[in-house]
Amino acid sequence: MSSTGATSADWTAEWQEVIDAIGRDFLDGATTWGGDPVERGAIRRYLEPLELDSPLHTDVDVARAAGHEDVTMPATGVIAWTIPAAWQPGQVLFDSDARDAQPVQTAINNQDLGIGPKTTGFFGTDIELDFDREVVAGEHLGRRGKRLVACKPKETGVGRGAFMTWESEIVSRPAGVVDAEPEVVGRIRIGTYAYVPHQKEEQ
Amino acid sequence: MNATLNGRRFDEVAVGEQLPEVALPLTVYRLVMAAGSNRDFNSIHHNTEYARSTGAEEMYANTSFLMSSWERLIRDWCGDTGRIRAIRGFRMRSFNYVGTTMRVLGEVVATRVEDGADGPVGVVEVAVRCEGPKGTTVGPGTVEVLLPVDTSQSEEKA
Repeated sequence: MSSTGATSADWTAEWQEVIDAIGRDFLDGATTWGGDPVERGAIRRYLEPLELDSPLHTDVDVARAAGHEDVTMPATGVIAWTIPAAWQPGQVLFDSDARDAQPVQTAINNQDLGIGPKTTGFFGTDIELDFDREVVAGEHLGRRGKRLVACKPKETGVGRGAFMTWESEIVSRPAGVVDAEPEVVGRIRIGTYAYVPHQKEEQ
Repeated sequence: MNATLNGRRFDEVAVGEQLPEVALPLTVYRLVMAAGSNRDFNSIHHNTEYARSTGAEEMYANTSFLMSSWERLIRDWCGDTGRIRAIRGFRMRSFNYVGTTMRVLGEVVATRVEDGADGPVGVVEVAVRCEGPKGTTVGPGTVEVLLPVDTSQSEEKA
């Protein structure tokens, strides 16, 4: 991996090897499973900060009247329910008592690509979702593959970095049946901006 | 127990219809609840100092919360009979900072009937956006919603 080179005039050149990797599946078709299956309690908690009031998500009788086996996961929950567990038994997650210290590892922050500049800032920019069917409590979701479909270096108000777009399939298997053949239930395209924050005096 | 589904049918929808607005005050409490429920614990969404160290003015709402606010808007409007089939153009243009109220707005922009596995199905495209104090922060994008069709009127609507 190269250095950041954030102050060099040709900083975008460091992104060329990432641009050259467009089309590559950075997971080689592997599936990253969500930390937990979709279940009623987690659905209820997902609804709370939204004040989203639909019995499809909370009342199994209504869900069954709509043709489902159990309460449905909110469609946008595919993001939350495909995030891997934050911690595994035996791991140390917090190794510093500094106020803003970050966990040793995180399932959602910027992941090292293994190529291109090292970035410390990261946020999502855009998402596209396709849902082949609704997902219900009792299913376990994952994302299969992580294909880079776009990379555009750009300097923004927060730093220098690149906008990237990643594509994955959303797959499902029954909870607890780890050898079940995954079923594709949707697709997700996620845009991100990974960057080196401006130094304060540069802002 | 036989439950009843309450919600819209395709023949009740017209292009140009404005969806009832959803207003979501973005407090620290709400953003922390959102992080806990949608598992996005990135510190930029619940830690002012950290968010500022990344170039932002303040902590701001996370992606899952913003996208699910679109689902709240759609579900409030369509009720139990609708199904979200796709979300497109969900582009985050600026941060939705804590201490502001985010408004979620939608308008029906297209309708059509498609052949589904169980007969005709209504497809409604809703243009959705989030607005903060300085204007549009997310979108406008499109949510594609499937609604049941009254087959006696489906040919006329198509």
